[in-house]
Amino acid sequence: MRKLATIATSVALLASVSIAKEIKVGAVMPMSGPLAAYGQVTYEGVELAQKLQPTLKNGDTVKVVLVDNKGDKVETATSTTRLISSDKVTAILGALTSTNTAQVIAIADKKSVPVIAAVATNDKLTMKRSFANRVCFMDSFQGEVVANYALKDLGLKTAVVIVDQAQVYSLGLAKAFKKAFVKGGGKIVKNIKITSGDKDFKAVVSQIKSANPDFMFLPLYHPEASMIARQSKQIGLDKPMFSGDGVANQTFIDLGGNSVEGYMFTDFFDYSAPPTEKSKDFIAKYSAATGKTEMNSFTALGADTYFLLVDAMNRCSDPSDSVCVNKEIKASQGFEGVSGVINMDKSGNATRSAVIKVIKDGKAVYKTTVNP
Amino acid sequence: MNFLEFMQQMVNGFSLGSMYALIAIGYTMVYGVLRLINFAHGDIMMVGAFLGYFGIAVLGLPFVAAVLLAVIGSALLGMLTDKVAYKPLRSAPKISLLITAIGISFFLENAFNVLFGGTPRPFPVPEYMESIINVAGLTFSVASLLVPIVTLVLLAIILWVLYKTKYGMAIRALAFDVNTVNLMGIDANKIIMLVFGMGSALAAVGGIFWAVNYPSVEPMMGVLIGLKAFAAAVVGGIGSVGGAVIGGFIIGFTEVVVVAFLPEYGGYKDAFAFVLLILVLLFKPTGILGINFDKSRF
Amino acid sequence: MGIVIKKDQWINLAIIASTLWFIWFASSHFDEYTVRILNNIAIFTILAVSYNLINGVTGQFSLEPNGFVAIGAYVTALLLLDGDAKSYQFDIADPYPWVLALHANFIWALFFAGLFSALLALTLSFPVFRVRGDYLAIVTLGFGFIIRILAINNPEITNGSLGLNDIPEFSNLYWTGGIAILAVMGILNIVNSKFGRAMKAVRDDEDAAIAMGVNTFKIKTFAFCTSAFLEGVGGGLLAALLTSISPDLFTFFFTFQLLIIIVLGGLGSTTGAIIGTVLVIGGAEWMRFLDEPMNLGFIETPALPGMRMVVFSLILIFVMLFAREGIMGKGELKDLFKRKGKK
Repeated sequence: MRKLATIATSVALLASVSIAKEIKVGAVMPMSGPLAAYGQVTYEGVELAQKLQPTLKNGDTVKVVLVDNKGDKVETATSTTRLISSDKVTAILGALTSTNTAQVIAIADKKSVPVIAAVATNDKLTMKRSFANRVCFMDSFQGEVVANYALKDLGLKTAVVIVDQAQVYSLGLAKAFKKAFVKGGGKIVKNIKITSGDKDFKAVVSQIKSANPDFMFLPLYHPEASMIARQSKQIGLDKPMFSGDGVANQTFIDLGGNSVEGYMFTDFFDYSAPPTEKSKDFIAKYSAATGKTEMNSFTALGADTYFLLVDAMNRCSDPSDSVCVNKEIKASQGFEGVSGVINMDKSGNATRSAVIKVIKDGKAVYKTTVNP
Repeated sequence: MNFLEFMQQMVNGFSLGSMYALIAIGYTMVYGVLRLINFAHGDIMMVGAFLGYFGIAVLGLPFVAAVLLAVIGSALLGMLTDKVAYKPLRSAPKISLLITAIGISFFLENAFNVLFGGTPRPFPVPEYMESIINVAGLTFSVASLLVPIVTLVLLAIILWVLYKTKYGMAIRALAFDVNTVNLMGIDANKIIMLVFGMGSALAAVGGIFWAVNYPSVEPMMGVLIGLKAFAAAVVGGIGSVGGAVIGGFIIGFTEVVVVAFLPEYGGYKDAFAFVLLILVLLFKPTGILGINFDKSRF
Repeated sequence: MGIVIKKDQWINLAIIASTLWFIWFASSHFDEYTVRILNNIAIFTILAVSYNLINGVTGQFSLEPNGFVAIGAYVTALLLLDGDAKSYQFDIADPYPWVLALHANFIWALFFAGLFSALLALTLSFPVFRVRGDYLAIVTLGFGFIIRILAINNPEITNGSLGLNDIPEFSNLYWTGGIAILAVMGILNIVNSKFGRAMKAVRDDEDAAIAMGVNTFKIKTFAFCTSAFLEGVGGGLLAALLTSISPDLFTFFFTFQLLIIIVLGGLGSTTGAIIGTVLVIGGAEWMRFLDEPMNLGFIETPALPGMRMVVFSLILIFVMLFAREGIMGKGELKDLFKRKGKK
C-alpha cells in the first residue's frame, strides 16, 4: 500500500514539475555604447522585477534573456531576430530609444511577438502596428502637460523652444509642446535649432536673451540642456527653464551645477511620492538590494514592463501564446505599476499621469502630479 | 547685429579658436617629423581632460597641480604610443602606420568607455575661472579669457624651443629629412619621442581648457575636436606651428560667426572645418603659411 | 597550356555553383537568425572587397565607406518608397515635390545608389588626388561626417533624424549573395587586369609608376570611384534589409569594422577580404559573450559592456605590429595552389 502511495505521489510530483515550463522573454537594451547609462538603469528595473516575481500563477517560470544592442540599429535588428528565432521568446521588452524600439517592433510585429517599450515616447511608434505597446506616456501628452502647466499654473505666455534636430525625441516633444501651447493661447517667439554633440551655445543664449521670452522650453537630453543652462547664467539670462524627461537624471544635476537651480521638468514618477503600494514596496526592495535611496524613473518603468507582461501572461491559459499575451496587455486597465497606475488601450498606448519636478538645492524635488 | 554683439562673438571665436590651436600644434609637429596623421591625438586631449578631472575630483589636488598631472600624464602617454606602436613601424608602408594610429585612437576611446562609462562627468571648475568679467558691455568668463592668453604664451615657448635650442634645430632638421639627421649623429627616435611629448602636453592643456569652458568630460569628446584641429593644421599650413595656431583661430572664428550671424545654417557648424580643408586643398594645398615639403615624397 | 586555363575556369565555375547552391539551401533550410547573419556577411563582403580595392590594392588610405554606404542607402530608400509612404512619414518638414516623385524598382534603385556614390567620389578625387594622397583619409573621414550633417539638416529630402522607415524588404540571400558574387568577380577581374597591375604599381612605388608612364591620378580615381559604386550598392542592399535607416546608422565604427576586416584578411587580397568578413561579422556575434559576465572556472569577471570594441581595436593594433600581412597577404586563393602544382 505504501509503495503504491509513494509511486502515486512521485508520479504526481513529476507530472507537476514537467508541466511547469520555462518561458523566455527577451530584453533588448543598450548596455554599452553612447546610451549605456540609460540602458543599464532601465534594465535594473527589469532585473529586480524578475527576481521579485519569477513565476506565473500556473507555476511556469519566466526567464529574461538580455541582449545588448549597443544603441545601434543593425545590432538591434540582429538581436531581435536572434531572440525571436533562436531563443523563441514570447515577448520582448525594450529597446530604450524610440528609433531602436521602432526597429524591434518592425521585426517583432511581422512575427506576432508583442513588444513592451519602457521609455520610448514617440507618438508614431504604435501606429499601424498590432504588437507594439508601451508603459510610458507619449510625447503628445508630455508636451500638453508642460504647455498647460506653464500657461495655467505659472501664467507664462511666451516661449522660446530649442530643438535638437538630431534627436527624434526632441523633434517629437517640441512639436507636441508647440501645438498645445499655441492652442492654449501662448506664443512661440523663437524656434532655435541645435545638434546634439554641440557644447558651445553662446550664440544661442544671446539670441534668446534678445528675444526676451517668459520662459524657455528645452525638449533635450541632459548633455545639451545642462550646457545651455550654464551658458545662460553666464550671460545673465535668467528665465524659467523647462524640459521633458530627457533631463530626469542625476547626471543633469551634476553637469549643470548651480545653474540648474529652479529648473523644472516632467517625469514619469518620483520615488519620494510613490503612487501605489506596489511602488512603495518595490522602492524599499530596490534600496535594500542596491543601497541607493533614490530610484530613477527609468528603473521604475523598466520594472513595469516586466510586471505588466507577467500580469497579462497570468490571464492567458497558455502564457507562451504571444497573440493572447498581446491581447491581454492591451486590455490591462487600472494596472498598479511601480511608476503609477497604467491604463492600456487597444493601440498599445498607456494612459497615465506625469509628475512635474523642480531642482532645489541640487536635488530634484517633487512639485505636482498631472493626471490625464 | 550691432557692434557690441559682433565684438562679443569675436571674443567667443578667439576663445574657441585657441583651443583648436593648442591641439593643432601637436598634429602639425608630428606630421612634420613623421608625415603621420596621428589620429590618436584628439584622444590624448581627452585623456588629459580626464586626468585633470581625476586630479581635482578624486585626488583633491589644487587646479594647477591637476593641470601638471594631466600634462605629464598625457606627455608620457604620447611618448608611450610612439615607442610601442609607431616606432616598430618606422620602415613600414605608411598605410600601416595610419591604420595603427586609428587602432590606438579607437582603443583609447573604448578603454575609457569600459573603465569609466560613457556618462559625461562634470568637470570641477575652480570658482575664479567661472566668474564673469564685464568689460565695456562684453561679458566673458575668466576661463574664456585665459585660454587665448595661455595659448599665445605656449606658442611663444614652442617657437623659442624650435628656433633657439639645439633640440629645436634637430626637430626642424628631422622635418626636412630623416636620413640625413641620423647621419649627423642625432638619434632621430629620441627627437621624435620629444615631439610626441611636447604635442601631447599641449593637447592636455587644450583638453583641460575645453573641460573648463564646457564642463563635461566623456570618452568620445576628443573625436570631433581632433578632426577639426587637424583641418586647422592643414589650413594654416601643415608642418608650421604658427600656421597651426592661425588655422585654429580661423576654424574657431568661422564656427562662431556662422552660428551667430547665420543661425539657419547653425546645423552645418561642424562641417565648416572640412569645407575649409577641401577649399585649401583645391586652391592652396600648402596652406596659409605653406611649407613646401619635398613634393616627390607624396 | 590549354589544360591549365581550363582548370582555372572549372575551379571558378565550381566555386560559383557551390555558392549558389549554398544560397538556395540556406534560404530554405536555415532559421531566420542565421539567414540574417548570412545576409550581413554578403553585404559586408561587397563592401570589403571594394574597400580593399582602394586601400589594399592601390595603397591609398581612405576612410570612405560609411559615407558612400549612407548615400547608397538613402538613394535606394528614397527610390523604393512611393509618394504616399513618404507623405505619411515625413514629419519634420514637407518633402520636396521631386522627392515625392522619386520611385524606381529595386535594380534601378541599386544602380542609381551606386552611380550617385561614384559621381560624388569623382568630385572628391579632384582636390585630393591631385595634391597629396595623404589627406585622403582625413577628407573621407570628414566626408562621412558631412553626410550625416547633411542628412540631419535637410529634412525635406531625408526626413532628418527621423530617418526613412518601412522600406520594402527586398533584400534576401538571393539578392545579397548574388550581388556579392558579381562584386567579387568584378573586383577580381579588375585586379587581374592591366588596371589592377597599375594600381599595385602605384601602391608599391608611386614614383616608379609615374616614371613608367602610369597616370596615377586616373588610376587612383578609377579605384576610388569603383569602390564608391559598390559601396553605394551595398548601402542600398542594407537599407532594404534593415527596412529603416537614419543618419546615426553610418558612423565611423562602420568604417572601422571594414578596416579590421580587410587588414585581418590581408590588405590587397580579395580572398582575404572575404575571409575577413566571415571572421569578423560571424565572429562578432560569437564574441557577444565578451560583453557578458564570464565564468572562467577560477575567476568570475563581471559584465563589461564595450569590451568587444576594445578587443577589436587591440586585434587591429596587433595585426599591424606583428602580422601585417594578415591572413592572405597580398595573394589570392589560387596563389596558394600555384606553389604545389605545375605553373
